[in-house]
Amino acid sequence: MIDSRQASAALADIDDIVQRVKQSQLYELASLAAVWWGVLVFAANLVTWLWPIYAVYAWVAVDVLGVGGLIALRVFDPKSHPFGAGVGIRLFLIFALFFAFGYLVTNVVGHFGPRQLGTFWPIYFMLFYTLAGLWFGYAFVAIGLGITALTLFGFFYIGEAFPLWMAFVNGGGLILGGLWMRRI
Amino acid sequence: MTDSKRASDALNEREKTIRPVRRSQIYLVSGLVLLLWAVLPFADDALIWFWPRYGAYYWNSWFVANDGLYFWFALYVVSALGLVALGACHLSRNSIRLFDRRTLLALLLIAAFGLVCCHFGRFSPRQQTVFWQVYITLVYLTAGLRFGYDFAPLGAAIIALTLIGYFTIPGVPLLPWMAAVNGGALIVGGFWMRRG
Amino acid sequence: MAELDDIIHQPLRLKIMAALNALPATAGLEFSRLKKLTGATDGNLGAHIETLAKAGYVSVEKAFVGKKPQTTVTATAAGRGAFARHVATLQEIIAGKQG
Repeated sequence: MIDSRQASAALADIDDIVQRVKQSQLYELASLAAVWWGVLVFAANLVTWLWPIYAVYAWVAVDVLGVGGLIALRVFDPKSHPFGAGVGIRLFLIFALFFAFGYLVTNVVGHFGPRQLGTFWPIYFMLFYTLAGLWFGYAFVAIGLGITALTLFGFFYIGEAFPLWMAFVNGGGLILGGLWMRRI
Repeated sequence: MTDSKRASDALNEREKTIRPVRRSQIYLVSGLVLLLWAVLPFADDALIWFWPRYGAYYWNSWFVANDGLYFWFALYVVSALGLVALGACHLSRNSIRLFDRRTLLALLLIAAFGLVCCHFGRFSPRQQTVFWQVYITLVYLTAGLRFGYDFAPLGAAIIALTLIGYFTIPGVPLLPWMAAVNGGALIVGGFWMRRG
Repeated sequence: MAELDDIIHQPLRLKIMAALNALPATAGLEFSRLKKLTGATDGNLGAHIETLAKAGYVSVEKAFVGKKPQTTVTATAAGRGAFARHVATLQEIIAGKQG
């Protein structure tokens, strides 16, 4: 038989490993999400750069596909994510609120130009990514702050080729970040 | 044997004392935060309303408005520093952290993003008022959820009233409207938390 | 007081069971992931998984993903039950020594 101190140590070990399992599952899910958004954002930025007339449609399509993909990830893979069921609806509401506030800032209260829009949305998105990272894991913080810094750099210093810059920074950054998260 | 007994006793003791202290901390923080949220904008709006000459300048001239903006930022920075100082003081007295580093970083990031938005939007004072109101309300809404308060109806009401004011009340009278919305929110929010 | 489960009691096996038990009923963990989570070496982890499998606490599935062999370990219902009892016993030990 063991004494209570050893028993406490064993329970602490269990807690620690459970925490790590949840973290690793979260990372796996988040990395899929990041890669998915990365591909979409890369494509939309390329469209914006090559055919600016179609930019609006491209971004609406990206938003719909992106959110749809995340919800599908939740709905079709309920057994491997660390939170309970019924997260789908709440997730949808959160995204609705997210886009509503973004729309309010850029189109109702303010009137952002294309360049400002191209900067606003990525850093808005990355703000939540980074904030989530403060609680869930520092990989998110690193990716979020890195992409934000590069985005702002592009806004101030890159001229005509800004959408192309964003395709690589934002799209490429998300893909690389997502793949990197799998290795942790 | 005695060792492990002492250890688990100590653990129990800690459990017992930490719970109420944590709760009182949460009350303290939310109280302060409500103060920051509601009293400062209220004071600012009221000030401008009661000194109409200054208020009109503040409202109409971008230059003066910019000064007003700096005044605002200064006010918030001072309040934020006050909160941090209070947290540090609390920490040394009870050897418990009032704010953890994450919360501070999160607030810093949120504030920075707000500033970037203002920079991009080149918001007029009127737009600033609405933007910060909606933004901060959303932040409190989410923060409230974390501590188990469901502020969603209150938050939605504040945002709706703010937008209604923005679209239907032209000129300076928007300010007393906002002051009323803020003051009302403070009172309702306070009662809400007491009830919870 | 209930007895501790000798098979689960070993530190690495405790970790393995804790990790698998944290997953939903039918989900398992890949060998390489389990290795990362527990910080064990290949040989050590393999041996302990075998002990757990012999006791009927985990099931081991081998499959090929492309040309790479992939081993997935899943906790069985018996394994989950045994783990729950083991944790309950640990908690009893802590509670029992106080009074």
